[in-house]
Amino acid sequence: MTTQNEPPLNAISNEDLQRLVEVAQLITSARDAMSDDIVNRLSWALSEGLILLDRVTRNEGLMRLMQVLEKRESQFLLAAYAEAIDAAGKEIPTLPPAVGGLGCILRVMRDPGVLEGVRLFSLFGKHLSHSMREQHRKGEEAIP
Amino acid sequence: MRIVVVGGGTGGTIVANNLSRRLVGEIRARKVRLTLLSASDKHMYQPGLLYVAFGQMSPDQLYREQASLLESNIDFHVDPVVEFKLDENRVRTQSGKVHEYDVLVIATGSRIVPELVPGMREGAETFYSEAGAVKMFKRLREFEGGNVAVVVGVPHKCPIAPVEVIFSLHDYFKARGIRDKVHIKYHYPIGRIHTIENVAKWAKPEFDRMGIEYETLFNVKEIDPVNRVVRSEEDTETHYDLLIAIPPHRGMEVVEKNGLGEGGWIPTDRYKLTMNGHDNVYVLGDTTNLPVSKTGSAAHFEAEVVAENIASIVKIGAPVRDYDGKVYCFIEAGHDRATYAMFNYQIPPDLKPASKPMHWFKMAYNQMYWTSVRGLL
Repeated sequence: MTTQNEPPLNAISNEDLQRLVEVAQLITSARDAMSDDIVNRLSWALSEGLILLDRVTRNEGLMRLMQVLEKRESQFLLAAYAEAIDAAGKEIPTLPPAVGGLGCILRVMRDPGVLEGVRLFSLFGKHLSHSMREQHRKGEEAIP
Repeated sequence: MRIVVVGGGTGGTIVANNLSRRLVGEIRARKVRLTLLSASDKHMYQPGLLYVAFGQMSPDQLYREQASLLESNIDFHVDPVVEFKLDENRVRTQSGKVHEYDVLVIATGSRIVPELVPGMREGAETFYSEAGAVKMFKRLREFEGGNVAVVVGVPHKCPIAPVEVIFSLHDYFKARGIRDKVHIKYHYPIGRIHTIENVAKWAKPEFDRMGIEYETLFNVKEIDPVNRVVRSEEDTETHYDLLIAIPPHRGMEVVEKNGLGEGGWIPTDRYKLTMNGHDNVYVLGDTTNLPVSKTGSAAHFEAEVVAENIASIVKIGAPVRDYDGKVYCFIEAGHDRATYAMFNYQIPPDLKPASKPMHWFKMAYNQMYWTSVRGLL
């Protein structure tokens, strides 16, 4: 006698049963392969990962940075940084050692690329100091 | 509002971190100051000592820097409290500094007092300290056979420890291939093999299966290390070659010296977790005189209630939760199987058969503990 909640026998095919057996074999296999050491290492990594995630998500500075990095222009800047690191890394070993002195500085400064770089960093410095001043002035409200 | 937490163990650390998270805005706006006073700059995972005693963990795995576990907005000092002036809302520390408070949390824990039983310190192995656990492991390593006796002092921390050590001994000697040369005898102070009835019911067939002899109503009176005899208040005695003792515990000396509670246990409201007669003093963990197990899990659940109530007092002027007596204990039923006991003031534990996945869960928790004390789990 069956109740209404039980599926009729013909609803379970041999293929379904075979799949269930395969899943059970997979679990048994994973269980046999597992050791206390593996569990320790995995849970250690999970624990440290959770702590790191917690720190990152509650760090207001990092979260603001994430918001800024989501903007298209910030991603251009980030990509440019990455390419600059790559190109400078390749170029530096090929350059002769700097001789030093005012003449050397003037030669470097005649390069328009260098001047654009200086401008970028001066802009960065201007906005950085402005933001720092604002945060100190507003205190709590400065960080959204 | 000035909140001072005394004690940097499981309960103190969780309550401080939990408060720090709940009151982050108030602390930043300097409306709340949160201070933690601890006796040590290190934090020990105490349940790991049993694993050290059986060579499953090394002592260095039990420790982390206390400061690394605390939120940055907690004012942390390694400066234990030596004097409580509850009527003046202030505590004085070892360095002489006085901390005034509006709310005080006392989570000073407990200590072992083997010296209360003559001969226990010299004659028995214990695993309730790092040195004791390492010494016990070395004794077990060199043990080649004979009578092993396990005796239990009262009261003691971690009520499950006596049965866990029996299961571990059985598996340890079995793994070394000398189980047939070792006779294990368990002694327990009341009329059944465990104080929690359902744990006793569950453990008895396990003991029978493992061939463990047991004697109940055995309250340790004295130990004679020379003749290797342990005697009970009930005038019985057992001869041993290796004696393992769960030492009796008391609350911390500072609690006794300041007259806060007999035996170092502070009279505590079982639901509000406030000290009797002092509504602005909370007590948690081993320090309470509550009829719940002295375990990290009790301290954890109590800390959550205390933190939520203090935070709600700051925010809305009234506490919001009661402690229901919840305790969750893993029970290692050997080296590769475990079960658990979960209970509260109303509901007794209902133990399930031990299994390997539960053992792994316990192994995982040994690592996840650090996430837990940071207030994440």
